[in-house]
Amino acid sequence: MSKAKVMIVDDEADFAETLAVRLRMRGYDMHVVTSPADTLLILEEIRPDVLLLDLRLPGISGVEILMTVPQICQDTNVILLTGHLDLERQIEGLRLDSFHYIMKPIDIKELIEKIDTLSRGHE
Amino acid sequence: MKIRQQLLAAFGLLMLLALVPSILSYRELSSVRKRLKPVELATDITKVFLEVRKNEKTFLLLKDPNSLQLLQKQMGMLKVNIEDLETDILREIGSRNYSALHEAIAAYGKGVKDLADNFRSQQLEINSLTELGREIENDLSGDALNTFLILRRYEKNLLIYRDSSSMDKFRQTMTLMPAPLTAMLKKYSDGANRLYAYFQGEESLEAELLKTGSEIQNYTDSILQSEREDIDALIRYSMNLLLLSLVAVIVMGAFLSGRLASGIHASIKKIRLFAERVASGDFSETLEVSGAREFGSLAEALNSMSLKLKETVSSLELAITNLHEKQGQLVEAEKLASLGRLAAGVAHEINNPLAIINEKAGLMQDLLVLTPDFEQKKNFHAQIEGITGSVNRCRTITHRLLGFARRIEITIEPMNLNDAIRETITFLKSDIFTKSARLELNLADDLPEVRSDKLQLEQVLLNLIKNAVDAISEGGQITVTTSRKDENTVQVFISDNGSGISKDQAKHVFEPFFTTKERDRGTGLGLFVSHAILRKLGCSIRLQSEPGRGTTFSIDVPLRPAPAEKKA
Repeated sequence: MSKAKVMIVDDEADFAETLAVRLRMRGYDMHVVTSPADTLLILEEIRPDVLLLDLRLPGISGVEILMTVPQICQDTNVILLTGHLDLERQIEGLRLDSFHYIMKPIDIKELIEKIDTLSRGHE
Repeated sequence: MKIRQQLLAAFGLLMLLALVPSILSYRELSSVRKRLKPVELATDITKVFLEVRKNEKTFLLLKDPNSLQLLQKQMGMLKVNIEDLETDILREIGSRNYSALHEAIAAYGKGVKDLADNFRSQQLEINSLTELGREIENDLSGDALNTFLILRRYEKNLLIYRDSSSMDKFRQTMTLMPAPLTAMLKKYSDGANRLYAYFQGEESLEAELLKTGSEIQNYTDSILQSEREDIDALIRYSMNLLLLSLVAVIVMGAFLSGRLASGIHASIKKIRLFAERVASGDFSETLEVSGAREFGSLAEALNSMSLKLKETVSSLELAITNLHEKQGQLVEAEKLASLGRLAAGVAHEINNPLAIINEKAGLMQDLLVLTPDFEQKKNFHAQIEGITGSVNRCRTITHRLLGFARRIEITIEPMNLNDAIRETITFLKSDIFTKSARLELNLADDLPEVRSDKLQLEQVLLNLIKNAVDAISEGGQITVTTSRKDENTVQVFISDNGSGISKDQAKHVFEPFFTTKERDRGTGLGLFVSHAILRKLGCSIRLQSEPGRGTTFSIDVPLRPAPAEKKA
């Protein structure tokens, strides 16, 4: 069973790249997007199993991406990266309890468990 | 009594003091006037009697029958005068003396009459003796005539000198007359003897008259004297009375006006002191003024003024206290809110680099795992774990701070605080067990439901109960109590018998990063966040703590969130 294809969308390149290296070392197929404007195009091209999405992005609303994902590729599961869930909730005025999320700084074990759980569901 | 009445009473008293002696002395003086008449009469009596005595002397000296007649007439006048004055004289000298006076006057009158009779008898005797002598002289001759002439010389001597030696010589010479004596001669001798007897009677009568005369004079003198003395005493009495009343009026006037003035002065002073006390804010005493009724009603008015002032002042003080409290709360809330925003901003900014550090350290660890053993590999592992451990601590802090800053919509729902407390305690079972703490729940059965955010309230309860568990020592006690405070509020008390905190510390407990716990145990954000949540829900929280005895947090939860807080 091959490991899941994971795409990270975060304007903090240092963070995104390092996390990608760590997950790649664990056998995941990693793609990093640090310019949020390209996200949707790349998403359509790569069609990852799991999308790690930072909600606070410059230029484009993370929520907009979040809403568009199901339309582009239905199979992609989103895990929100957030400083604090409630903070995002306040900014966007949305109830995001139904989404998967993980808080920064990331506990790598927790993240891996989440990715595995979500991607396995698709296979 | 009113002041006016007091003044009138004092005036009346003074008038009485002046009036009584005045009336008395008026009476005395008018009686003096009445007494002057007896004095006049007494003077008349004395005058008349002096006249009587004068005539008496004239008679005694000159043997003038006219003066004797005059004397008798005057004695009659005197008698009438004395009878006119009977009452006065009686009063003055008493009835015994009066009758003595009467007797004396009667005796005097009789004396005068006797004297007059005696005198008349003398005159008759002298005339007959002289007549007889002349007749005998004509009859005699020779030796007998010679002797008789000697006898006649002695007769003249007797008539002139009226003495005993003349009489003796007359008698001796009579023996020389040739015996027997003729009837004529014998008659002559008898007449001379009778005359001598009359002379002697006159002497004793005179002595008697003088005696009674001076007696009566003494009486009249003493009557006059005592009348004078009486009048003198009356005048002196009136003078003394007037003087006394003058002194009494002055003394009494001074005393009364002094008393009245000091009464008024004391009352005014009392009122002044009272006003000063009220002015300085001391309302504890009520004013009590004795004395004039005006002051009584003034005191009543002042007391009610003071009472109203007291009420006003205390309501103002209450209002000011409330204002200060509200102001303090607002300032505190604003301070905490801005601190919170600052902290959340800082936390957010730190969170991203923290995430990078976390990933870099994680990667280093990953790489280390893949690298074959080298000399310091274990040491490297330890160092990296130190980094990730610190990152985790930072994460706890930033998450809490960010949690504070959230302004999520509040989910208001009917909830039971007792249930919330019981649920919260299930999360803390292990902590409580570890500390062997005794947990006492005094939850009111009839506690009404409140409309609030259950999850957030549970968060707060969790924080507070956790703090209580941390504060107590092994086997300590924690008490959670609920009760209804008033119509709109229920209360939750969370008490521990732990170490407690000082007043200085208590001021800061709701500020971020304030902690009394050991370094790794607390973030210093629990109460800060709890406070923020409670304010958002319209609740208030208070702290009571005594070092060494424990701490009690009390939360007021409104049955319905306040309208102003609803939107927040």
